[in-house]
Amino acid sequence: MSIEREEARLDLLVKQAIYGLTEEESRELKQLDLQGGSNFDGQAFELTAAALSIASLEKVDPMPQHLEARILLDADRFFAERAPSAAKTVTSSTAERRPAAEETGGWSLWNYFPWAVAAAACVALAVNVMTDDPNPTVVQQPVQPQVEQKLTPAQERDRLLASARDVIKATWAPGNVKEIDQIGGEVVWSDEKQTGYMTFKGLPANDASKETYQLWIFEENQGDKTPIDGGVFDVNENGEVVVPINAKLKAKNPALFAITIEKPGGVVVSKREKIAAAAKIEAPKTSA
Amino acid sequence: MAEAILQRIAQGDQDAVQAALKTYGGLVWSLAKRMLRNQEDAEDAVQEIFLDIWKNAGRFDSSQSSETTFVAMIARRRLIDRLRFNQRRISADSLEDVLAEPADRSDQNIQTVVEAKEAFKALDVLRPEQKQVLQMSIIHGLSHQEIADATGMPLGTVKTHARRGLIQARQYLGIGSPDSQKEVAV
Repeated sequence: MSIEREEARLDLLVKQAIYGLTEEESRELKQLDLQGGSNFDGQAFELTAAALSIASLEKVDPMPQHLEARILLDADRFFAERAPSAAKTVTSSTAERRPAAEETGGWSLWNYFPWAVAAAACVALAVNVMTDDPNPTVVQQPVQPQVEQKLTPAQERDRLLASARDVIKATWAPGNVKEIDQIGGEVVWSDEKQTGYMTFKGLPANDASKETYQLWIFEENQGDKTPIDGGVFDVNENGEVVVPINAKLKAKNPALFAITIEKPGGVVVSKREKIAAAAKIEAPKTSA
Repeated sequence: MAEAILQRIAQGDQDAVQAALKTYGGLVWSLAKRMLRNQEDAEDAVQEIFLDIWKNAGRFDSSQSSETTFVAMIARRRLIDRLRFNQRRISADSLEDVLAEPADRSDQNIQTVVEAKEAFKALDVLRPEQKQVLQMSIIHGLSHQEIADATGMPLGTVKTHARRGLIQARQYLGIGSPDSQKEVAV
């Protein structure tokens, strides 16, 4: 290969590794490869760029469970098509939930006080104790890859209440968002099952392209600076909604639940500028 | 054992799928989020990437790279394709952020990416201009022309730094071999 052609090939390989190639450039590279005589392995540049891109990750977030479930189903199909007789069934324990944002970081800007105020307001103002509506407006439709019957969040919540012995409950109160002053509903949580559900009345539908709701779980012994990210969710229509909690870390003895309004996808550390609702655990755990 | 995952998948061992998701799910997901900056796009891309991984598992060659790097390469190919299709940029980082020194990562959770530290070292052995160009292009998605505009380097110099930086990083990381021409059909 001439020096000029080798130079052209290297230019294309670098571009491929960093930016990708157009169809025309891909054809040109193939033609150059066909001529042979190059000492440079084209894929090595791509591998190098990939390795360097790994270095750029400030942290590695776990994949959302619902996405993992989708991939497992894809794999089922892929392997079934490849070897139908040998295909196995993947039994995933993952249920589709709304994706949580990212791992929780420190909340150094906040004081506990606003939460306590909001929670106290909750107790004073909450007049709607939620009933178990069999047909609530469900925002998040879990798609479970299990063969077993698919349950709605409301049904899953009922199941939790019936089966867990350590369920705690708290009632939502308005936060600091003027427009959300009539919120009702409750949150239920089981440490044992690491599962919980939020029920809302009066939480306005959000424009998912502009903002999302995000849950934060404050543990009894962790103070207010390091709440657990409970996941993000959207409300598509006004009314009553049931939302599964997707805690990113194990939550133990929650003392307070708070909903903030964040950018789409959620945030790692909330500035806590918009608190849509808060719910404080008022009493020790009770049996469900 | 991580190094055996792709081989098992290539042999049709579907149980290795779970292991692959556990080992590489976070990496692929994080790369997708970083490059696409859109939750929905990232989810779709990650689904496609794992299908690509199943299809190409048999092409992994441990003498060329680690499994992690191979998986990241497949992920990047798909992500770059999506970006090109959408004619969008790799990241929305501000130029100020791009030009800033990397943050201290000593307390950040990178243990699941075993190559991260080595890749950092690879960047650190490069000349400062090479490191800067590779960071701005690979990590932040700036075009060579934009890098030239931002840094004041001539365009040709930017391209030279990118190429030489990649070659040196490749040598440091021990990636590939001079006579190998393996291709991945993604």
